[in-house]
Amino acid sequence: MTALALSGPAPQMPGLDRIRLRFVELLHDRKAEIAHYALAAWDGETAEDINQNLENARGILHQISGTAGTVGYPELGQTAQQCEAQIIAHLEGDYADLAICPGDIIWFIDTFVEACTNLTDQA
Amino acid sequence: MKILATDDDPIILELLAQFLNTFGDHDITTATGALDAIALIEAAGAEPYDCFLLDIQMPGMDGTTLARRIRQMHDYGVTPIIMLTAMSEKRYIDSAFAAGATDYVTKPFDLTELRTRISVVEQLVESRKTTNFFAPAPHPTSRTTSDVIDLHDPIALHDIDYVISCIAMENYVSQLSRSSLFGSTVFAFTLRQPEVLCDALSAAEFKFVIEDVAEVITDSLTGHQFLMTYAGSGTYLCITESGWRPDMPKLMDAVNLRLSRAQIMSNDGKELYPRVSAGVAIRLIWKSGDQILNALSNAQASSEAAAAEFERLKTDFFHIGKSA
Repeated sequence: MTALALSGPAPQMPGLDRIRLRFVELLHDRKAEIAHYALAAWDGETAEDINQNLENARGILHQISGTAGTVGYPELGQTAQQCEAQIIAHLEGDYADLAICPGDIIWFIDTFVEACTNLTDQA
Repeated sequence: MKILATDDDPIILELLAQFLNTFGDHDITTATGALDAIALIEAAGAEPYDCFLLDIQMPGMDGTTLARRIRQMHDYGVTPIIMLTAMSEKRYIDSAFAAGATDYVTKPFDLTELRTRISVVEQLVESRKTTNFFAPAPHPTSRTTSDVIDLHDPIALHDIDYVISCIAMENYVSQLSRSSLFGSTVFAFTLRQPEVLCDALSAAEFKFVIEDVAEVITDSLTGHQFLMTYAGSGTYLCITESGWRPDMPKLMDAVNLRLSRAQIMSNDGKELYPRVSAGVAIRLIWKSGDQILNALSNAQASSEAAAAEFERLKTDFFHIGKSA
């Protein structure tokens, strides 16, 4: 998948290969955690339950969006950032107190998880 | 430099450690949370850290609160604090500066930019070791020193909400985005006859006056989003990003009214009657690069000119009774 090709200035830094490898290793677990929280939010029956699961997913997405670009995967980082923005918009929006998990968030996270899977499979 | 990096993401910490070891001779320590960081700082003892890199968004105590805690610690009143922030957290940057941050770097890192910012901090740390530019103001817990102060020196003011160092102000305005510049305005107040106060008072007393006036100005600006710094020569530089366009004459009157009520005294109980003059408010829209820093200089210059003009007119008897 070309979207996950290395790019930017990061690959030029000595020692980055080791960090990138660790990033991809961590990504495998992080991706699974995000998917878990997203499904739990989708199945949640109370606003508190849904929002807490979305908040947990957001925390991990935030970490990925902060590092992916630097280790050479800027588009993965942007995808994570889009997911995070969707979740923040919901949590700070007018419907945050309703027991609703917007389908758009699940769709964005599905796209992100697929991108992660492509990357971890390639590595 | 001895650097403490704090971030809950282990990848960020590895990146920073690798980066700092690759591009400089730094001694880097990492912490995965604010409480760990505080413990490390306290354990540093006689070999304090030269610089902090703090993630803004961390579970538990966030980076902004940690920055505030560091500023309250002995030895760390002016130590550079660089906040690490994702673009989505930019809205928290003002709070971080108000808490004592010196600068910020956005994640994901642009390594060239990060290298530049670390180099700047390194130079600042070096200059701090060789000059008193950064440390004319001792920490609040030890303000009884009788050190000499130059009227023109910027003074780092501690524990006043929304007041930041001069360096932090420069970093802040130089990184404002185009959209932020749209609603931003800079303006300044200058103490009238600051040289008289500086000559008549001890260094410690003069600092207290500068702090008291700063508190009065920030109280007068309550309700508006702003940051302020003391630039030296009796001048306080302010920036607002909220789209508010201050009416400077009215604002000056409001500040002076509060100053008159504050009854600021010298140590021997004599009332000092500090009053300020205001310069013009300068909008930052359409400005970039050096123009933004020039706007700060112009705001400062106009305020100092207004203070000088006020004093001149007090003795300009030829114009008394005349109207425009």
